[in-house]
Amino acid sequence: MTEAAILPVPDNSATLAIEVSHLSKTFLIRHEPGSVKRALIGLLRKPRIEHFHALQDVSFTVPHGQTLAVIGRNGSGKSTLLSLLANVYRPTAGTIELRGETGGKARVAPLLELGAGFHPELDGLTNISFYGAMLGLTAEQMRAKRDTIIAFAELGYKVDTLVRGWNDGAKLRLGFSIAVNTDPDILLVDEVLAVGDEAFQNKCYRLIGDLQAQGKTILFVSHDLAVVERVASRVLWLREGRIEQDGDAHQVLQAYRHFSTSESL
Amino acid sequence: MRDEIAEVVRYRYLLQMLVRRELKVRYKNSALGFLWSIVPPLLQVFVYTFVISGVLGARVPHYSAYLLCGIIPWTFFSTALLDSSQSLIDNYGLIKKFYLPREAIPLACVISNLIHFLLGWVVYFIAFMLVARLKKDGGIPLLPSLIWFPVLTMMEVLLVTGLSLWVSALNVFYDDVKFVIQTLFGLLFFLMPIIYPSDVVRVMRVMRLHPWLFKLYMLNPVAAIIDAYRKIILEPISPSHFNHIYAQDNSLVPSAPIDWFNLFITFLLCLLAAYTGYRYFNSRKWQFVERP
Repeated sequence: MTEAAILPVPDNSATLAIEVSHLSKTFLIRHEPGSVKRALIGLLRKPRIEHFHALQDVSFTVPHGQTLAVIGRNGSGKSTLLSLLANVYRPTAGTIELRGETGGKARVAPLLELGAGFHPELDGLTNISFYGAMLGLTAEQMRAKRDTIIAFAELGYKVDTLVRGWNDGAKLRLGFSIAVNTDPDILLVDEVLAVGDEAFQNKCYRLIGDLQAQGKTILFVSHDLAVVERVASRVLWLREGRIEQDGDAHQVLQAYRHFSTSESL
Repeated sequence: MRDEIAEVVRYRYLLQMLVRRELKVRYKNSALGFLWSIVPPLLQVFVYTFVISGVLGARVPHYSAYLLCGIIPWTFFSTALLDSSQSLIDNYGLIKKFYLPREAIPLACVISNLIHFLLGWVVYFIAFMLVARLKKDGGIPLLPSLIWFPVLTMMEVLLVTGLSLWVSALNVFYDDVKFVIQTLFGLLFFLMPIIYPSDVVRVMRVMRLHPWLFKLYMLNPVAAIIDAYRKIILEPISPSHFNHIYAQDNSLVPSAPIDWFNLFITFLLCLLAAYTGYRYFNSRKWQFVERP
């Protein structure tokens, strides 16, 4: 539909941060037997395994420095796409290439779930070092960035208390702070900012603005269309695992809003 | 497989952090902390010494030292496997949201248990070498065969790593694994030469009639390793000390020396466990987060 028109299509692929081609992901879904009797019968038969096509033949590229929002209804494949980009899932078909600005392998900072990667029985400081190690940073690199991370997350006295006593806002602030302050090439965010209070959300958007100015590539999933409009210049609309529209934020959002209203009637 | 190992090496700092986290979290809310890795084996030693030497009347010199030499490697084996069987489930949130070489998670279990294991030996040597010497009864001498200690440890690490990779991957798909392990370990403890030496099994009537049965018994790599630890650390103990049936004519039945050929076979079995474990883990590791 509205494709390529506003997208720069550079022939030099080194300027692309994300290159996804013909990406498909199929999950196997097993129907639970439900009762012992049915389970026993099930032993004789082949288990009922269904294929669920979460993503089908998805192709797009993102140049360095672009912010792309992914929208779509529940179950349209948004989170699957993010998990594939974060290398948590393996594609069933197709390829994904993520490049850093210098052309090498990109450093990806995923923010896929609130509090993911934190251990509840450890304090904030230990969790920061652990999280950094997961993002591929060394102990010295983390030490240098620790104060910035703590200051941005507004943790205060909480930093040396156990994470299990923290509220969602604090977990979000720390996760976000680590992800953005460790200098990633690509930031992947899945609908986590919603729990922060308004002041922190505003701070996040300001920081996202800074990251955009620094030329970082951001890919995020959101149901909050106002946020999408505010942050993203380009929107990818997924519907039942396929790209419905991909293009300029305003145009795609308009089409999506129109679609949503007609769906709900 | 080489690429997979290179990836783990690349993520060695994360592995180090996982081990540290494992060590830290385990005793986080306990008053005794690290002592909990030493207290249970010591309690076991007291109870079994009471039962075997006291109640059943086996007259074994230094029985508690003897026992501890079996319990330390057994505890490493069983605890590491129990821990790693749960490790991927416990860290499910992590592997579902972040990329990391997934084998790092059971490996961290093995390494943290290896640290407890080595700590156990330190306690053992301090207790029995120094304290026994203070008692001026000669104590337990340090044998030159102790140089084989690192070799045996390496073999056990290979075995434990391989089996940990097997059970951790299997347990993601089959909950049964945990129950099988728990049931099996309770029984294996008594079937293996831990509270008694393998020589007692060797001189059993049925084993003497069919010597291949004993060979089969010693093909169990855990039994072979535990028995070898004992034989390199302590003076040989006659099976007659355990069971006076074999000492009718007042002469002690001699203890058998280490069966080096059997130990070599054990080494090959450990290698096989490590190799197949890693192969299986790698064939399954991308399915962990999307099990049907």
